[in-house]
Amino acid sequence: MNWATRYPGWAMFAAMAGLLAFLWGLAIPLAAAPEPIGPAAEQFADGARITVWLTLVAGSSGIVIGVLAGVGKLSRFWPLRRLCDAYVWLIRGTPLLLQILFVWLAAPSILPEDIVLSDFACAAIALALNVGAYNTECVRAGILAVPWGQVEAARALGLTPVQTFMDVVLPQSMRVALPALANNLASLVKDSSLAYAISVVELTMVGYRVQAESYQPIPVFVTTAVIYLILTTAFTTLTAALEAQLNTGQQR
Amino acid sequence: MNSPAPSPDTSLRPIIEARQVDKRFGSFHALKKVSAVFYEGQVTAIVGPSGSGKSTFLRTLNRLETHDSGEIVIDGIVLNDDLKNLDAIRREVGMVFQSFNLFTHLTILRNITLAPMRVRKMERAAAEQKARTLLERVGLLSQADKYPVQLSGGQQQRVAIARALAMDPKVLLFDEPTSALDPEMVNEVLAVMRELAYSGITMLVVTHEMGFAREVADRIIFFDDGVILEDTTPEVFFTQAEHERARAFLSQVRHGF
Repeated sequence: MNWATRYPGWAMFAAMAGLLAFLWGLAIPLAAAPEPIGPAAEQFADGARITVWLTLVAGSSGIVIGVLAGVGKLSRFWPLRRLCDAYVWLIRGTPLLLQILFVWLAAPSILPEDIVLSDFACAAIALALNVGAYNTECVRAGILAVPWGQVEAARALGLTPVQTFMDVVLPQSMRVALPALANNLASLVKDSSLAYAISVVELTMVGYRVQAESYQPIPVFVTTAVIYLILTTAFTTLTAALEAQLNTGQQR
Repeated sequence: MNSPAPSPDTSLRPIIEARQVDKRFGSFHALKKVSAVFYEGQVTAIVGPSGSGKSTFLRTLNRLETHDSGEIVIDGIVLNDDLKNLDAIRREVGMVFQSFNLFTHLTILRNITLAPMRVRKMERAAAEQKARTLLERVGLLSQADKYPVQLSGGQQQRVAIARALAMDPKVLLFDEPTSALDPEMVNEVLAVMRELAYSGITMLVVTHEMGFAREVADRIIFFDDGVILEDTTPEVFFTQAEHERARAFLSQVRHGF
């Protein structure tokens, strides 16, 4: 991934463009493949799009949750601190599959009747809460890694606590937190496959259905795996480039 | 026989008044009812052995340390838990740290423009113009687009001084500004500070640089064990310090350098 760190701007562009082109055009090369992949090309393309969409929605919400809870864990206000601790403890101590099922089955009985969540929304919420808990620890570690002198300098210059956090602490903490956050995002691409349990037709579900119709698990699951590999590679390239971008000011 | 304290000249306006300031860190009594008045335009060197309370005293003046009791008034504003007062004071009091504390993720130029833009709501163009002028003053205009890590310690400290000046502070606090520097870089920082001292800004400098204190300061305060032991002019302090403790300290640092 050396070129990605050397030309972060280009790498980010290439990864984004590559990902979009891949999702857009995936059905074309797959359609040319022999049985049982060719006839199911559109299904694979749709599944891959759902997987990426699920990852992006849950991933970006998870970052926001992670930052909020990470800051909350360092709050001087103890009830907030306890609340964030409890959240992380709860999510990390229970299986993701259980969390997905819980949101899917419990949400209708908790929410008012006129709000109906789609299967996709349930999966996105559960995944966001899950990755958010893991992100919380990364963000907290990142914030703790920022030297106290940076805060003192900002405060001495008259910046408010909020300005100090947004302009000085958060950007510097991201440099430390980003590799771990990227790791979580790459896991999320794969974890999103658990959404198949609540009938979200994402990539794994597509693979499962196609092999169930064709009785040819090997080519079907190999194809599915290759698509996952391409997706995770795009996401890690993207985050590596972002890391390099944030790294400015660290090396001489 | 009291050494004559610098006379509160009627033409001088008090800008910092500390009365009976007390501070403990757990069982350690860092400041014991310290009182001092600092006047506009005055350059004060604060000296003393390590752990004597001189840095703590300086840091209470912009509330990087909170004092336990006593009163600090800066330019007529009482320093207390009122955040409005605190923000008003921090806008008027600049600080230069021993470890520079430049923002590592920002360029030199952005380091200087950040506070004027956020706190004083300056336009970016005006803030950058001002930053360049200040960088020229400290001799580092060519480094504007670099990051702090690319500069030497002496250069970083000069940027830190420019950053503090960008807020147009009435008072500049220096907390051992040359202690973290290699010997050959000390002079470039002292030169900038000397130029500042003659420009008429109020300066409080915690330092171990006795040569600088003697040459540039109007007033010397000697801290020992949480109290101000001597408060006098450099001439008196360096030739006929009143307390044995101060004379012992002086002979120590002279041998040390």
